[in-house]
Amino acid sequence: MDLNLKDIIRFRIVYQTVIDYWKTTIIITALFGAMAAMYSSIFPSFKDTIPEVIEGFSDSMSWLPGIEEMGSYVGYLNVELYQIFWMLILGMIIGFIAASIISKEIESKTIDILMSNPVSRAQIIIEKFLGLIPGFLMINFVTMFVIMGVSIGIGEEVNFYFVFLTHLASIPYFLAIISLGILISTLIDEKMKSSLIMMSLVFVLYIFQSIAQMIPDLESLGYISLTQYFNTFDILKDGKIDAVGMMVLLLVSVAALLLSMFYFEHKEIKV
Amino acid sequence: MQDQGHKKTVKCPECGNLVEVHGNPGEKKLITCDLCNLKGMYTFPEEVPTAGTYSTDETVIKVKNLTKTYKDIVAVNNISFSVKKGEIFGFLGPNGAGKTTTIRTLLGFLKPNRGEAYIFGKNIKDNIVEIRKNVGYIPGELALYEHMTGRQFLNYFNNLRNTHLPLLEELLDIFELPLDRKIKGYSKGMKQKMGIVQAFMDDPEIVIMDEPTSGLDPLLQQKFYDFLLNEKRKGRTMFFSSHILSEVDKICDRVAIIRQGDIVALENIENLKKKRGKKIRIKIKENPEPLLQMHNAKIMAGWIEFPSTENIDKLIKSISKFTILDLQIKEFSLEDIFMRYYTTGGMQ
Repeated sequence: MDLNLKDIIRFRIVYQTVIDYWKTTIIITALFGAMAAMYSSIFPSFKDTIPEVIEGFSDSMSWLPGIEEMGSYVGYLNVELYQIFWMLILGMIIGFIAASIISKEIESKTIDILMSNPVSRAQIIIEKFLGLIPGFLMINFVTMFVIMGVSIGIGEEVNFYFVFLTHLASIPYFLAIISLGILISTLIDEKMKSSLIMMSLVFVLYIFQSIAQMIPDLESLGYISLTQYFNTFDILKDGKIDAVGMMVLLLVSVAALLLSMFYFEHKEIKV
Repeated sequence: MQDQGHKKTVKCPECGNLVEVHGNPGEKKLITCDLCNLKGMYTFPEEVPTAGTYSTDETVIKVKNLTKTYKDIVAVNNISFSVKKGEIFGFLGPNGAGKTTTIRTLLGFLKPNRGEAYIFGKNIKDNIVEIRKNVGYIPGELALYEHMTGRQFLNYFNNLRNTHLPLLEELLDIFELPLDRKIKGYSKGMKQKMGIVQAFMDDPEIVIMDEPTSGLDPLLQQKFYDFLLNEKRKGRTMFFSSHILSEVDKICDRVAIIRQGDIVALENIENLKKKRGKKIRIKIKENPEPLLQMHNAKIMAGWIEFPSTENIDKLIKSISKFTILDLQIKEFSLEDIFMRYYTTGGMQ
């Protein structure tokens, strides 16, 4: 593989990727900030009815980690915000974006003019990957501060250090999603197609975990789910990070990136 | 050949024997036919002033037995050629002949099935990133980052090339561009101009162009040809693919004609025309039949037309028995030559 460290350190494609996604990042940050603010701030008026609500869907939702503690603020945050909006919906959005990062250049044919520069294909993959990280970090930590702020505002108790740990542990999870998205985007040349496939993949992997939890015979299905390795409830409540899980997510990320680089390096860039 | 300058093959007007002669442009040489002993002077053609004198024998692009297939379609079939430093090398053929495939293989976008290619003596297989530092490229289907302004685009590419842009000012003077407007709002001609600017701005040694004049209006095309000839004078090597014969005729030093993945001719443009002789068009009073048979001619719009590589004096004498109403003797245009390659599959 043709990788020149000196060229990568200049981070030009990284910088351009950050700039290109600047507006998108602001919009997603605003949306998730607003969503986090809304959900956490309605907790006080909602908490009395929660036991009945849980009663109502306890069977169908029983696979959600920590659902039984939804009556508490931490349990509520976990289910309403982290399990659904964070891991599933933000996962799908980030996956959607990452999966178009190469395919959009191929579909629009800008890859030709990009590759006429002295940049290697492996470098393009790495830099695009790095370029997606700052945007994610911004969404991640702005949402964190919003949750902390609103919690103070409504006077509910939550361990801020654990909230921080949750957002820190989100990084490997989303890195895995970004890398898998990039892999799909090198495999499929149409950007809408690659994005939708990645979005469905995030959804399916999420569902795998729920199936694995509900049907004991299919427990092994959970191992191929990314969510299996990132339990927000354990971190939020007890500050307990699944170190092995984090390692698995990082390994998935590295493996997907290496595969993308290898595949892209040998790909034919046709007209 | 290096010491003896250019090599020409001259046909003896008497017996038709081919005699080789070596010399430099402008030089006069006495040749003796070794079959019939006829003596004659041969003057090497002067190089056209615009053609400059930078063209040397140093090879900067070398393609050896390159084959590229897509599934079972052979796009490029075992082609070989080399481009010399400082020349404008024409790569001529209709759409689908394999021009773009060859260029994309040279730039490392496609992997050849067989054969190899070298740029600056380096194998493209292992050194393509290094090679691209000194190669500019205008893609055939030019796509730019539409969301950027012209300035942002040029800045981005300046950063990627990590070098200064000695030619940018000059280029923007010739090819004016609204740099503060988004590329999305550019016309096709403006985008093409941007393609030209980015390819030349960092002063690369070679510029590879895939049908670069498409989308340019005639005025701009002329400006572009002038620009290319000027760049050639400065010693830049250019690889110019085109399906437009007249432009290759106008600016290129040598041309490779590619047909269905095969290179069917590769020659100096002047030679190519000379070798094909002259185009004779004639109108006579008599029945044209004997003339048609004699020269394998055909009738085109009332004119009897045939190519002739014969001594012109002999020809005139041979047709003098007819009553000539009108006579035209023309150089073959590249177009005539090209059409013959494409209709007869060569003209040996």
